[in-house]
Amino acid sequence: MDVNQINPMLTAFTEILPQIGFNSIDKKKITLIGSTVEYRGVLINIGLLGVIKGVILIGMSMDSAMRFASKMMMGMELESFDSLAQSAISEMGNMVCANTCIQFSKIGISGLDISPPTMMISELGTATLPVQQAIRLDFSVDGIEVYVYVGLV
Amino acid sequence: MSGFKVMIVDDSPFSRTIIGETLVAAGCEVVGEADSIDSLLETYIKCKPDVVTMDLVIPGTDGFECSRALRLHDQNVKIILVSSMKDEETEAEARRIGISGYVQKPVDGEALVGIINNVMSPDTLFQQLEDRGHDIFQESLAQNLTRMTKAPITFTPADISGQQFTSQGITAVVGVIGRYSGSMIMDLSADTAEKCVLSLLNRPSKNREEILGMVAELANIIAGIACSMLNKHDKGFGLRVSPPSIFSSSAAEITSPNLQIHGSYAESGFGTIFLGIGFKKGSVLWM
Repeated sequence: MDVNQINPMLTAFTEILPQIGFNSIDKKKITLIGSTVEYRGVLINIGLLGVIKGVILIGMSMDSAMRFASKMMMGMELESFDSLAQSAISEMGNMVCANTCIQFSKIGISGLDISPPTMMISELGTATLPVQQAIRLDFSVDGIEVYVYVGLV
Repeated sequence: MSGFKVMIVDDSPFSRTIIGETLVAAGCEVVGEADSIDSLLETYIKCKPDVVTMDLVIPGTDGFECSRALRLHDQNVKIILVSSMKDEETEAEARRIGISGYVQKPVDGEALVGIINNVMSPDTLFQQLEDRGHDIFQESLAQNLTRMTKAPITFTPADISGQQFTSQGITAVVGVIGRYSGSMIMDLSADTAEKCVLSLLNRPSKNREEILGMVAELANIIAGIACSMLNKHDKGFGLRVSPPSIFSSSAAEITSPNLQIHGSYAESGFGTIFLGIGFKKGSVLWM
């Protein structure tokens, strides 16, 4: 995977999140990983297709997902990670990935499209990306830890 | 066209007047106007329009950001983008956000009325996909499994009210992209997957990676064949599949929020396989 391919994702993340109520978006770490990802909590899967293709996963712990969704819903208190909270997190994933396509078009990679988000919820699960190598981005978003996995070829 | 309630989002009073007069002349009712992102949601909630016309250039923000804000509040909002820009990437972004239609400035009254009519009309192509899509994915799964099991496959509808279901162990998710985007979810137990490997390779799997690789390949083939069948039925679908992701867990819940998934259980000689497929609207109509 071309490491430069993460820049559109980075830009999209820092551009979209302030629009949905977040103030501080800190990129903590970038790691080159293999195709297997272990997750705890929530993991969103969005397929990307065009001249490059693959998948973008966005993960967070259950506690982080509830805090994240609550912030998106103007601080509404959440007792569980219900369908409204799931919808909010999915919509965030959709927005970030749609904007990633815009950022790709700015560097000459146009015509990309994305699939609707599918969400996995598990105390402990494994995801296998359809690429040999992927990049993991660790963010702290208003103190909430969010992991983004970009697997594109 | 008559009686549709329209809200106009545009920072220019002149543009709002022109669009408003065009709509009223065509029998629509202008129920609200907003000139910035600050007044957007409040106006939308207050006037409950059928359709929103959205300027692309708005000081301090843009029509995409405003559209995202509206869609966060209401997934079913129907937005028509009104912009002097008309290029491939603007159209692509509009489609990805879920904007329903697009009219170029200066606004031609007939074009605007035409697109509102289209947006408000039942989408017959989407209806065909809803009616036939799940059956065709089932057919594709049955064809491929029957080759392995040499036995008929029977399907029973899956109750996934609440749009959430529990994984049997291994899940393949394939994104579908085209005129309408969607997802195919295939879920099976590790035991069922192992039996598939045994049938395909005439030997037990060497390791877990081999099992997951087989599930990915099977899901990819099922989705690819189903999309080809749908495209043959109507070229307008233009469906393609993105590479599958595979998830495994001893206890996972799976959901596709904002997507109506039609699910069924395929009873095969190897075990039960869940198959779910859902598509979303959000087509962009250009005028």
